[in-house]
Amino acid sequence: MGLRSFFGILPPKLFYKDVSAPVELLPVPEKITLLWYRRTPSDLAVGVGTEVETGQDLARNGRGPFVSTVTGHVDEVNTFLGVDSREYLAVQISADQKDNFDPSLPAVEDLSEAKPETLRASVNRAGFTALKSIIRDPRVWPAIDALIISVLDLDPLSIVNQQIFRDNTDQVQAAVELLARTTEASRCVLAVPDNLAGIASKVSTGAATVAMVPPVYPNGLPEILAKNCGAGLLMKTYDTGFAGNTVVVSLEHALAMVSSLQTGRPMLEKTVTFSSGKGELQNFRVRIGTPVGEILKRASVNPQPKGKLILNGTMRGYACFSDEQPITATTESVHVQEPSEVFFFQNTQCTNCGKCNAICPVDLEVNLLGRLSEYGIYDKCRGLGIENCVECGLCGYVCPASRPLVQFLTRAKQGLSEEAQEPAGMEEALECNACGPVCPAIRLFDTESDKEDSPKA
Amino acid sequence: MKALDLTVSPAPHCHCGARITRVSYNILLALIPAMAMGFYYYGFDALRVVAASMGSAMLAEAAIQSILRKPITIADGSAAVSGLLLALILPASVPLYLVVVANFVGIVVGKQCFGGLGANPLNPALVGWAVIRITRAWAGYLDFDLALVNYETGFILQYPLAVLKAQGSAGVAHFSLMDLFLGKQVGGIGSSAIIWLLLGGLYLVVRGVIRWEIPLSFLIGVAVIAGIFWLGDRTSYGSPIFNILAGNVMIGAFFLSTDNASSPVNQWGMLVFGFCCGAMTVVLRSWSIYPDGVVFACLLMNLFVPLLDKIKKKQPLPPALSPVTPPVMSKSAEERSAS
Ligand code: SF4
Ligand code: SF4
Repeated sequence: MGLRSFFGILPPKLFYKDVSAPVELLPVPEKITLLWYRRTPSDLAVGVGTEVETGQDLARNGRGPFVSTVTGHVDEVNTFLGVDSREYLAVQISADQKDNFDPSLPAVEDLSEAKPETLRASVNRAGFTALKSIIRDPRVWPAIDALIISVLDLDPLSIVNQQIFRDNTDQVQAAVELLARTTEASRCVLAVPDNLAGIASKVSTGAATVAMVPPVYPNGLPEILAKNCGAGLLMKTYDTGFAGNTVVVSLEHALAMVSSLQTGRPMLEKTVTFSSGKGELQNFRVRIGTPVGEILKRASVNPQPKGKLILNGTMRGYACFSDEQPITATTESVHVQEPSEVFFFQNTQCTNCGKCNAICPVDLEVNLLGRLSEYGIYDKCRGLGIENCVECGLCGYVCPASRPLVQFLTRAKQGLSEEAQEPAGMEEALECNACGPVCPAIRLFDTESDKEDSPKA
Repeated sequence: MKALDLTVSPAPHCHCGARITRVSYNILLALIPAMAMGFYYYGFDALRVVAASMGSAMLAEAAIQSILRKPITIADGSAAVSGLLLALILPASVPLYLVVVANFVGIVVGKQCFGGLGANPLNPALVGWAVIRITRAWAGYLDFDLALVNYETGFILQYPLAVLKAQGSAGVAHFSLMDLFLGKQVGGIGSSAIIWLLLGGLYLVVRGVIRWEIPLSFLIGVAVIAGIFWLGDRTSYGSPIFNILAGNVMIGAFFLSTDNASSPVNQWGMLVFGFCCGAMTVVLRSWSIYPDGVVFACLLMNLFVPLLDKIKKKQPLPPALSPVTPPVMSKSAEERSAS
C-alpha cells in the first residue's frame, strides 16, 4: 500500500484505497460486549440479570448515555483493560435475535421545524460515543465554527466512509443540511477524496462547500482535515479534549445521527473493513459490541500464532490479544497480519537522518522529541509542540532505525498530562526527604522527621 | 477475555522498509566508480590504502564496542563508509600505519566516544584526516605533489589547488576544465574522480539516501563566494568553476558534509549548513595556509549543527497550564521571607 519506488527523493506516500466493496450485514451474535471508558459498575442503572431493550440507556441518571445495542439480559459486568491499555467498564449482554425498541427514545417530531436545541438534545440522548471523543465537552456544542463531514477514512486500509458515500449518495444532501442546522455551525464542509469527485458532483449540498481532498494518508484524520479545510488547527489540551471550534464527523456517523433524529433509534450498527495480507478488502456491518471473532469467522481467516490482529488500521490502530475484543462505534477496520508480516521495533538509537521530520504532517521535530522522551525529559517536549502530534504513525513508518517513535511521543504526552494533574515528583520527594535538611534556599517539605529535628519544637 | 497467542505492539504496525544498513550500503555502492578510478590510476597502492582503511575502521569499531560491552554494529556498514571516505581523500602513497591510526582516532574519538552512530557531532572520516593533517610529522604525506610524484598517470602531475595558491590563476591556466571534470587531476584516491562522484551523489539523492539541500547549497556556496573573490582579483583567485572542479569539493558536497549525524535535519538548517560549508571552503582556500579547505570547513560547520537545527518554524503551543504550586512549599517560603 505504500509507494516506495526506486526513487526515494520524495517521502513515501500512503494512498487510501480506491476500491468498492459491498457492505455485508452480519447477524446479531449470541453475546455482545459494550465498553464504557473509565467507568465503574456504580455508574450503571442495571445489574447482572436485568432484561434490557434495544436503545435503552443503561447508565444511572445523568451519567450516560450508555446505550444497549441489543435486546436481551445482562450476563456479566466487569472492568476490563482495553487494547489501548485504558480501563473500561465491560457489560456483556446475551442477545435475543429480535429487537424490542425502548419506547422512551422518541423521534423528533416535525424535523424541518424543530429548534436546534431540541435536535442537539436528541442527538446527545442517542449517545454518540464516537462523537463524544471529538466533542468531549457538551459545552462546545453551542459554539461551533466549522462542521466537517468527512467521506475520507481514518486508515489507508479502511473503505467504510467511501463505500457509504457510494451507496447512500442520495441521503448525503439531507444529512448535511440537517446536521448544519443541528450544530448551527457557521461553516459546513463536506470533505470528499479526489477519486470520488464524480459522485460528489451529483450531490448538491446547498450551503455546505465540498472540499476535494487528495486521497493520501493522513489527510483523512480529523485534525488534518480541520487544518486543511481552512478551519484552523485543532489543538489538543489536557483536560477538555480539543480546544478549537471545529467538529469533524465521519459520514457514517453523520448518517446515523440523522437517522436517530428521524426514528429516535441510536446508532446500533457499525461498518468495518476487513483486510488481511492477501485477498480483497471486505466491508461488514455488525451490531456494536460484536466480538471481532465473528468477523474473522465470516471472512474465514484465522490469525496465526504470533501473528497480529489489529483494530483501526495499521497506522494508528492497536493490536488485540483476543478475538473476543468487541467492535465499538469507533472501530473502523480489522486487519490480520501473518507472523511474517509483523514488524518489530528496535531499540536502536536515532541516526539523525531527519526522515521523520520530513514526513510529519504537523511539522514536528520528531527526532528530538523521540530522544527527549526516551530519556524522560518531558517538559522540553512541550516547548517543541508535542501536543500537536496527531499520532498518525508516519514517523514510525519511515524511521530507518525502526524506532518506536509514536510510542515515545505518546509516553511523553502521558507523562505531561500526569504532571499536569499532580505536582511533579511530589510523591517521590516526600518519601526520600533527603533534600529537606540540606537545602540552602527553602525547605521544600514539612514532614514528621523534619519537625522532630527542628529547634523550635 | 480469552487471550490468543498473538503479537501485541504499539502502532504503527507496518513499515516502509527503510533500514540504516541500506543507507550505508547505498553510499558504498555510489562510491564504487570513484574508487575504481583511483585503482585505475594508482593501482595496487590505492587498493592497499582502501583495504587498510575500511578494515581498520571496522576493526576499531568492533574493538571499542567489545571493550565497552556494547552490541557490535559493524554490520550496519557505517564504519565501512567512514573508512572508505577517509581512504578516498588520502593520496595513494600514504603509509598504512597512518591510515590505521587515523581510522582508530576517527572512530574512537570522533564517533564512539559520543555514543556511536547518530550521536557523533563530527564526521569520523574527517576527524581521522584532520589528525594526520595537523600532526607535523605526518602532514607531509598529504602533500599531493610530493606524494604522487612517482606515478605515471598521463595527466599533469601537479595538484591544481597548490599551483593556484603558489602562482595565482595564471599558473592554472594550462589545466583544462574538462580534464578536471573527467577526473584527470592529482588528488585523493577517489576525491579527484569528479564526474563519478557527481553521478554517485546524484544516485544517492534520487534514492533518497541523502537530501538534495546540502549538496546543492554547498556547490552554490562555493560558486558564489569563489565568484566574489574572482571578480575582486582575477590574478590570484580561481574561477568558480575551477573551484568546484578542483580538490575535494565534489566529494565534500555529496559525501563528507551529508553524514546524517553531523548535519542538520531541518530544511533551512541544511541549506544554511551547505552554503556555509561551501563558503568556508573557498575562504580557507584563499586565506589559509592550506591549499584545500573542504575538510576543515565541514568540520567547523559540523560544530554549528545544533545551532542550525534551531532554524525551524515555531509550533503553536497550547494555552499554558495553570501552575500547580505545592502547598507546603509556598507556605514555608512565605515563612522564610517573614522571619
Ligand atoms: S505520529 Fe509522528 S509523524 Fe504523526 S504527527 Fe505525530 S510526530 Fe508527526
Ligand atoms: S527517522 Fe528515525 S533515525 Fe531518522 S531522525 Fe527520525 S528518529 Fe532518527
